[in-house]
Amino acid sequence: MDSLDTTFAALADPTRRAILAKLALGEASVTELAKPFAMSLPAISRHLKVLEQARLISRGRDAQWRPCRLDSQGLKDIAEWMEHYRKFWAESLDRMQSYVEQLHAEAERNAKRKKVVSKGKHGKKK
Amino acid sequence: MAQGTLANVEDREITDTRVVNAPRELIWKVWTEPVHVTQWWGPKGFTNTTHSMDVKVGGEWVHTMHGPDGRDYPNRIVYKELVEPERIVYEHISSPWHRTTVTFEDLGGKTKLTFQMLFETAEHKRKIVEEYKAVEGLSQTLGRLEDYLAKVS
Repeated sequence: MDSLDTTFAALADPTRRAILAKLALGEASVTELAKPFAMSLPAISRHLKVLEQARLISRGRDAQWRPCRLDSQGLKDIAEWMEHYRKFWAESLDRMQSYVEQLHAEAERNAKRKKVVSKGKHGKKK
Repeated sequence: MAQGTLANVEDREITDTRVVNAPRELIWKVWTEPVHVTQWWGPKGFTNTTHSMDVKVGGEWVHTMHGPDGRDYPNRIVYKELVEPERIVYEHISSPWHRTTVTFEDLGGKTKLTFQMLFETAEHKRKIVEEYKAVEGLSQTLGRLEDYLAKVS
């Protein structure tokens, strides 16, 4: 669970999400990543560190040129995990939908029956 | 991995939208009355026992989900916002913390239901724990939920 928390915390920040979106297009250096944001290199580096700890990105070994790229394993783990919840809710909502539609249909039928009965009574009185 | 999935993961969100053939007043009842909610909550094969349900802001719904495998999964939900018959916002007080917003839009007898579930961060979790004096035995609950998730995978 802790690693999930780390991942969700990493994803909670809009700058970090924008970094991931950029990396989805291909690997990039810190300088390239910093360009679109009004942020210092150290600030961007801190964000990258958070993403790296959450295993959402990985970085090259070369000390000079450490390109960042998406770490597909981290994303895959969390996507699979969220998929459980998506299924859970898709099935729950399916059940809710058929249950409430059935209730509604029954109520409609009962209302019609009452109408017919009261009309019938009215007719007899005449 | 599908691109759509990636986008949802980045947003920490699960969403669902559907048009239900029933008025939203009825749907509201089905979400907020124990006799109804226990009939459908959870995937196929699950049943529920409601221990208490206090539908007001800050109130809780405490229930146990019974899995088709015979195992029990305790659940705790805190209502954050209730606008009858339009919107319910609640937070799930077991890991992973998440906040769900369900809206019911009137389409003239039918209802458009929008479901949005947002996974919260550890930071947010700490706040909730302080606010609600997190329950004892919570880690037990978490363990069971984790077991469950591992099993259904």
